[in-house]
Amino acid sequence: MTKENVQGASEEEQQAQSKKALKKQQKEAEKAAKKAEKQAKLASEQQEAEEDDFAMDRYGICPMVQSQQKLDRALVRVQDLTPEKAEQQIWVRARIHTSRAKGKQCFLVLRHQQFTVQALLAVGDRASKQMVKFAANLTKESIIDVEAVVKKVEQKIESCSQQDVELHVERIFVISQSEARLPLQLEDAVRPEGEGDEEGRATVNQDTRLDNRVIDLRTTTSQAIFRLQSGVCQLFRDTLINKGFVEIQTPKIISAASEGGANVFTVSYFKTSAYLAQSPQLYKQMCICADFDKVFCVGPVFRAEDSNTHRHLTEFVGLDIEMAFNYHYHEVIDSITDTMVQIFKGLRDRFQTEIQTVNKQYPSEPFKFLEPTLRLEYKEAVAMLRAAGVEMGDEEDLSTPNEKLLGRLVKEKYDTDFFVLDKYPLAVRPFYTMPDPNNAKYSNSYDMFMRGEEILSGAQRVHDAQLLTERAMHHGIDLEKIKAYIDSFRYGAPPHAGGGIGLERVTMLYLGLHNVRQTSMFPRDPKRLTP
Amino acid sequence: MHHTRKDDDMNGEVDPALKALEERQDEVLRRLYEIKATVEGLAKTVSTPDADLDASTLSRGPAESVLRGTADLDSLLGKDLGALRDIVINASPACPPLCLLVLHALLCQRYQVLSSVHVHSSVSAVPPPLLSCLGPRHIDGYARQHFQLGFTLIWKDVSELQMKFNTQSMCPIEGEANVARFLFRLLGAEPQDPVAATQMDCWIDTAVFQLSEGGSKERAAVLRSLNAALGRSAWLLGQEFSLADIVCACCVLRAGQTTSAPVNVQRWLKSCQNLGHFDCVYPLLQ
Repeated sequence: MTKENVQGASEEEQQAQSKKALKKQQKEAEKAAKKAEKQAKLASEQQEAEEDDFAMDRYGICPMVQSQQKLDRALVRVQDLTPEKAEQQIWVRARIHTSRAKGKQCFLVLRHQQFTVQALLAVGDRASKQMVKFAANLTKESIIDVEAVVKKVEQKIESCSQQDVELHVERIFVISQSEARLPLQLEDAVRPEGEGDEEGRATVNQDTRLDNRVIDLRTTTSQAIFRLQSGVCQLFRDTLINKGFVEIQTPKIISAASEGGANVFTVSYFKTSAYLAQSPQLYKQMCICADFDKVFCVGPVFRAEDSNTHRHLTEFVGLDIEMAFNYHYHEVIDSITDTMVQIFKGLRDRFQTEIQTVNKQYPSEPFKFLEPTLRLEYKEAVAMLRAAGVEMGDEEDLSTPNEKLLGRLVKEKYDTDFFVLDKYPLAVRPFYTMPDPNNAKYSNSYDMFMRGEEILSGAQRVHDAQLLTERAMHHGIDLEKIKAYIDSFRYGAPPHAGGGIGLERVTMLYLGLHNVRQTSMFPRDPKRLTP
Repeated sequence: MHHTRKDDDMNGEVDPALKALEERQDEVLRRLYEIKATVEGLAKTVSTPDADLDASTLSRGPAESVLRGTADLDSLLGKDLGALRDIVINASPACPPLCLLVLHALLCQRYQVLSSVHVHSSVSAVPPPLLSCLGPRHIDGYARQHFQLGFTLIWKDVSELQMKFNTQSMCPIEGEANVARFLFRLLGAEPQDPVAATQMDCWIDTAVFQLSEGGSKERAAVLRSLNAALGRSAWLLGQEFSLADIVCACCVLRAGQTTSAPVNVQRWLKSCQNLGHFDCVYPLLQ
């Protein structure tokens, strides 16, 4: 290429550029003009607004509530907005779930917990144009105080939980404003699985939910899940207290691992180290030896297992039971299963709204159970599995797939989602498990299953120091480390049995959910430590 | 089988299992045709016009008493797999299966039976007599392996009574009468003579379809024919107490027509009561 050529080319370029620049300038000028026009319009509108907004004191942003005044104002809960309140003038505090402006009207959906109601703001003698505009521009999730008249509606409002009434807003004040951009949309987070794919709408994946847990917990589904979970705890406590149990609190920082050392968290403890409790096992048993007879304990339990599955957490809430019995450990099984049945019945009878709310997003068959609870023996389970074509040894432990298959087989025959499997092989249970007196290969131990997944593992414990020592030695356990535990049985110990349940698992399996993180408020697993 | 359900654990096995299922279906169909042919043959030889025929004129096969029949559970129900053979019966508390309770009492006389009553979560409240209808809880109930037979009665919201036994190879059996036939066979006391066996089935159907479900006219007609049959012999099939007596008596009792029944029927109900097997039924009739 020659120099001339290059020069020519660049001249042409310059010309072209200047043409472009000219166009650009023109465009910018046009834009500026438009902007000015807009601003002028805005200004005039504002002026207009300032000039003749007769409803100015009926809306606005409240100063931060710093407890300056104690208003004598009753706030009605959204769930109480029923046709009986029709024509009443009331105050409501709620979040803005959605807002939709349409000309001179603005429709709001107000939400409080899992309840929603439609609110309407229309230009008229109570509301000005500016007020409607203000309402339409409120950001989602802001908390507002609204004064309104309750009106019956002719057609049911399908999209709200309060279907028979709507609110005609007269005053609207912002108590706390939300930022405009939300990390996830609540509608997306409650969309039933599968439905989003079909309609090309967004759903929110689990990690996004957990990263923004505070917002995710506001969804109707989450609200229902955790209200029901609270119910599980309360029913557990109520039932056991009625049966004469005593609630105990046990330390979670312990000096030695209770069930093998592999899966415990070590914490530094001044100049030495300690462990986080894997279960209150030892303390429950010590309480039995201390004549408390029937004890239970609700508290955190830690497992340092690096398993990333749908049903493992590193910290969960354990519901633990330990009970002295008279002659046969089935007295304890009966007590525990009856407690579970009381919980299931209580949930079925008192938490139907919550169950249905969760079912809308995660449909599942209602939880089925028998009263009294079905009890099968391990041998029967093995025979059932073999008849279904599974090859397994007599004393082999149940693998997770086999547990699920067994759950299905039992459901098919007995139509129950809850059953007890009794008489596990001794070899697959911990050293403190009492051997079966009739067959040394088996033990007085049991698991309980919900929808084919284990929720409770329990057994009669060895209450004889000598046999306990033998069993510990058979398992190759260092006797020095568990000396204090064994010693507690030397001064007269009643026969006893017990078991521990995971609260999150019970909630998950009762509702037929797929992941234990859905029923843990702030889940902890090997990969998650926040929020 | 479970392969119709979504099952990630057993993906690899689907194909051979399906094949096995197809083969089994063919086998079942073949056997059904055989049975059909046999029954048609029998129907021709016996040529009984209806259930009301005069039982006394018919020849009798080797009759066996309920309490003297021989039965071996291994030969009746197949090989023992080391598990309790548990018979599960789903019944609606609105319509307690009286004749099955009588059969349960008979089974208890023959075998070591582990009886249990459960309430399914589909029904909320069950009257106390229904909870204790199988008698007191067995004292050795903690050891399931010691029993020959399990009898698990579940009060459940079902439209028709249902029995589940070997869910792997048997479909659920529906209808109280059919379950009664199954349980009666376990006693090894069913009539060996095809005529008597067919008569028995006839009486059972009559009781269930005309007495329990029929209108007042039909009911009266059945009571008349019962009365006629019982005028000729002590029991419906002649000299031997059979399932026909159990089912018919329970249907009459349930229909609440004990006092208005004809004389022979009244006498026969009394005889049934005297046998003692019906003791469990009376507390449920109030």
